[in-house]
Amino acid sequence: MTSPAIETDGLSKQYGEVVALDALNMTVAQGEVYGFLGPNGAGKSTTINLLMDYIKPTSGTARVLGYDPWNDVVACHQRVGICPDRFETYESLSARRHLELVIDTKRADDDPRALLEHVGLADAIERPAGEFSQGMEQRLALAMSLVGEPDLLILDEPFTGLDPHGVALVRDVVEAESERGATVFFSSHVLGQVDLVCDRVGILYEGDLIVEGTLPALRDTCDLSSDATVEDIFMRLTDGSAHAGEMDT
Amino acid sequence: MALPRWFPVARKEATTLLRSKGTWILAPLLVVWGYGPTYISWDILGPDVTVGFIQVAGSTLLPLCVLLLTYRSIIQERTSGSLKFLLGLPLTRTDILIGKVLGRSVGAVLPFALATVVLGVIGGVKFGLFSPVRFIGVFLVTVLYIAVLVSVATAASAVTTSTVRVTAVLFGGFFLLLTLGWKIVGVRLYSAVTGNPVNPFEPPADGLLFAILRISPGRAYRTITNWILGVGNSGGQYTSVIEVLYPGISTNEYVVDAAFSGQPVPAYLHESIALVVLLLWGVIPLALASYRFNRGDLA
Repeated sequence: MTSPAIETDGLSKQYGEVVALDALNMTVAQGEVYGFLGPNGAGKSTTINLLMDYIKPTSGTARVLGYDPWNDVVACHQRVGICPDRFETYESLSARRHLELVIDTKRADDDPRALLEHVGLADAIERPAGEFSQGMEQRLALAMSLVGEPDLLILDEPFTGLDPHGVALVRDVVEAESERGATVFFSSHVLGQVDLVCDRVGILYEGDLIVEGTLPALRDTCDLSSDATVEDIFMRLTDGSAHAGEMDT
Repeated sequence: MALPRWFPVARKEATTLLRSKGTWILAPLLVVWGYGPTYISWDILGPDVTVGFIQVAGSTLLPLCVLLLTYRSIIQERTSGSLKFLLGLPLTRTDILIGKVLGRSVGAVLPFALATVVLGVIGGVKFGLFSPVRFIGVFLVTVLYIAVLVSVATAASAVTTSTVRVTAVLFGGFFLLLTLGWKIVGVRLYSAVTGNPVNPFEPPADGLLFAILRISPGRAYRTITNWILGVGNSGGQYTSVIEVLYPGISTNEYVVDAAFSGQPVPAYLHESIALVVLLLWGVIPLALASYRFNRGDLA
């Protein structure tokens, strides 16, 4: 349990001239719930794409649960659960088939029905995912991420497209997984949800991690009162107005 | 013993294909396309003419349909984002490619196998009992050909960033030029390289000409199946090969036995080399694609 869940050192990604992520140094300890926040286009998805080996870095290094995320993919992903952002499910396959794909590849012994019950989709277990609403697809992806009791759960924009029940579900799942001992790393541009679930937050802004810490510590840093929200902190740190319009609260 | 890591991906790919109606429409189409007895082929082959039906079914319609069933398998997942699920699993990217190729191959082989059984029953009833060894041999070579086609299409699908491009390369380049039109393109290529004009009714006994013709995966496939059928050493359809070698008939097909009559045939034109050609088509494009797929950004 000595190595951090996530550790990046100078992690950068450039697309031609465009810097998507600029020398990110970040450490997420095992067992914590870390909210990775920032407006759209700040580099949150780029970071997760790098950590999941969806893309390769331009420079810098990273460790995920002690593994090199680009060369030890099999060992690393065996212990990671991912709920991606901007995905479609397999339209001709049932919810059960989706879970079986993950369960069998991870060689886990989870029961697909129990996982679907956990996310409120048990009724749809035999239905092809092509019939699902966006919220149902999101729930299915969440169930897939929980297979095999991962040590690290990565949720990319998990609140997107969910109704209030769905949002509450994600919060419950995060709490339960954290209680089990898992590390939870999630990204969000919806700042309103995160106060309730995070131990620590990092705020990414234009490819840079501008601040990181527990909410009380951040409030102190920013000289804000104890009822200040993540939004207040964000606005203070980015000088208020510039990108405030892009924030979806 | 544990199943390989890629097995669940292969199962998903096969399931996806076998649940689509388009896959099963292939079976009756192949029966209709393949069934076509001729008097001359009956004269030479007797009941084994039924085995030839499999080759005809496997020659034009099958490659087209197999490519259609496969060419989007990876680019589609990349575009839709579902690839993020596969990439997030404890699999190497090579595992994903292997699972895709083997799963889609099974998905395409099953309707073909059904068509083969139907052709075998119809042919057996009408023309009598054929050689089971030849029948099974041609069936198995066609199964290999399907896997090769799936492998090529998967390779193209893995390295492209646009569906339009993969469509152009596979259907315009691989299918139209290399598979369907290679008899014309390959001979033009030979003439351009050597300066020798070629009369298709009396081709020269030049090993290079036949070697160029044989690099087409479709012609390599027919060379092996003609070998099993025992009609002659050629990448043409078995009916044409029979016609070329049949007294009193002239056909524009390239048959080694006719062109080299009496002269020694270069060893590389032996039919078994066509099997090597086919296997290389199954391995090289996929290996090159795998190299790029393993290093690229996929989201």
